[in-house]
Amino acid sequence: MVRFWRSLRDGSSFDAVLVWLALGYLIVFSAFPLIYNIVISLQTVDLFSIASLNRPFVGLQNYREVLSQPIAGLVFWNTLQFVVLSIVFQLCIGFGLALFFQQDFPGASYLRGLFLAGWIMPALVIGAVWSWILAGDFGVLNYWLRSLGLIDQNIFWLSDPSVSLYSVIIANIWLGVPFNMILLSVGLAAIPHDVYEAAELDGATAWQRFRTITLPLMRAPLGAVISLGVIFTLQQFDLFAALTQGGPSNASNVAQYWSWQLSFQTYQISYGSVVSVLMIVFVIGVAAIYTRSTRHEQAA
Amino acid sequence: MRLTIALTAVGLLATTVIASAQEVELDLWTIDDPGEYHYVLAEEFMKEHPNIKINVRTVQFRDMVNDLARAVATGSGPDITYIDNPEVALFASRGLLLDLKPHIEKSEIVKEEDIYPGPLASVTWEGGIYGLPRGANTIALYYNADKFREAGLDPDNPPGTWDQLYEAAKALTKPDQNVYGLAFSAVASEEGTFQFLPWLQMTGGNYDNVATEGGAKALNFWKRLIDERLASPDTLIRSQWDSTGTFNTGSAAMAISGPWELPRMSQEAKFEYRAALLPVPEEGAERASALGEGDNVILANTDNPDEAFQFVEFLYAQMPRVWNEFGYLPASQVEVKDPKNPEIYAVFEESMKYARNRGPHPEWPRISKAIQQAIQSTLTGQAEAGAALEAAQQQIDQVLGK
Repeated sequence: MVRFWRSLRDGSSFDAVLVWLALGYLIVFSAFPLIYNIVISLQTVDLFSIASLNRPFVGLQNYREVLSQPIAGLVFWNTLQFVVLSIVFQLCIGFGLALFFQQDFPGASYLRGLFLAGWIMPALVIGAVWSWILAGDFGVLNYWLRSLGLIDQNIFWLSDPSVSLYSVIIANIWLGVPFNMILLSVGLAAIPHDVYEAAELDGATAWQRFRTITLPLMRAPLGAVISLGVIFTLQQFDLFAALTQGGPSNASNVAQYWSWQLSFQTYQISYGSVVSVLMIVFVIGVAAIYTRSTRHEQAA
Repeated sequence: MRLTIALTAVGLLATTVIASAQEVELDLWTIDDPGEYHYVLAEEFMKEHPNIKINVRTVQFRDMVNDLARAVATGSGPDITYIDNPEVALFASRGLLLDLKPHIEKSEIVKEEDIYPGPLASVTWEGGIYGLPRGANTIALYYNADKFREAGLDPDNPPGTWDQLYEAAKALTKPDQNVYGLAFSAVASEEGTFQFLPWLQMTGGNYDNVATEGGAKALNFWKRLIDERLASPDTLIRSQWDSTGTFNTGSAAMAISGPWELPRMSQEAKFEYRAALLPVPEEGAERASALGEGDNVILANTDNPDEAFQFVEFLYAQMPRVWNEFGYLPASQVEVKDPKNPEIYAVFEESMKYARNRGPHPEWPRISKAIQQAIQSTLTGQAEAGAALEAAQQQIDQVLGK
């Protein structure tokens, strides 16, 4: 017993306890819901059978039915556009700002801090603000564009099916830029200065320094930011709820919002689970690519 | 034997003693906030019945069905709750609600034949009556009398047919002043279905018969209003509340909405507003209007069905007060003394006669979604009205098991 306590206090048992705590947490709060979600997606579940165990098992039937719905293709295409466009722009703008604030100029760190204002605001507030900006009849954006003479007819950012998805993407890019910038700033700060100095002495241009030093050394942070970005954009729900509700006519509907609509608007909970399982598969794919691409670096 | 009798007697005595000392507690869920209908009336009821205590709890409107389903499943549901009228069939069909019919037959206050047909249909499921309406609402055409005069229209003679509505909207639309002729809601939610159904019904269709010529005509009429910018394209994503907001600020000259807007309208609208019945397809056509508001229902597993009914009956008895105090229309034939906004009240009271229920069907949300999709794909020009309604009909038939 004494030996046990001693080993718990300063030996391997303590480590084991910590590991098991973490593992237990993961099993209860991550693995269980995940598996339960998969189980539901294979059964017929509605609002009233969700708490009972007597639910008919239908196998892949639900998957067939969800994928054969007329809007399925549109929703997945929208989701792909939403994720790819959001991440590309968030990353480019975020990286650009990170590089900009990496330059030494007075007030750089304060200005960088200001950018975080958007990140700490609740997404629903951001949704409300953007819905004023993007409103068709009395929106701020249309007012500016008209005053600048760029348009002479209001653009219906949220109710025109050809632009509504991009309006949500614009709001989401704005929302994600500060996060990208901060993570990439940390990465940039970790690159030792003397490498750049040496390269400069050798006559490397700014572009060459960026391409041969910054980019390769930023590989791991960029990978992390991209994979987190995929997860965050797939999670983005509030902006859709606040701006377009997936409309008009599903023009801005994406998988995460559709899953919610199926589960909690038409109470087809198994269908909602099917969509979320497909999303999880996608995220696991992205995570796998990320771990594979960074494994070499850790080994090196 | 004697011992048993004695024990029973003691037991009976004990229970009566306890019963008189201990009050009956009823849990009530509502979407109201303190100070509104359920809170106010529960307070009044408890004053009259000191032995019954009512615990009122607010649940968000959009969460009500989910919360209730979960609570029922785990056995922690309330005794009495408020649910939106298309949802009654959903719960009744699963045997979760108490059939009030036997109670109503004995009641001196509630008379089945007094309740308007629409609200009564909303609580009826397979011969049983599963709730009592707390009130009702419906939609009508609000219009800005000042703008009518400016545009040379007669405010005493509001549009009565679709053609007249179109002409009026055209005359009232002022693009240079950012004024649309008409505001309504075609949003992809229950509200869109709520606003569209009367148009469909006026042409002879209904929720189970949407792929009709009249349905296509109605949708094409809506599309024309938006395409010609007589209504804002944002109609597609605006709720009724937001749409009527544009009417209140003068950015729309007419609006289709319900009596729940009146308290806000009386504060925001700085012009003379009036109301008229929803225009019909042509002179003499069948009238229809939407039916809104919800019902007070008792859950089947309540421990105190009699006291619960007593309370629901008490709520029902307040029907003559609802217009003036809570902003709903009465759901039964009662006299409203000194109604606020008497002319508008008269319009809505008349409109109530044509108000038709959505469903009832336990899978209503799926039917509603199919209708919403037809509306939205037509208005965005992605599908032709007839084809969109045909697609909706297929989905609805599937739900109805046809």
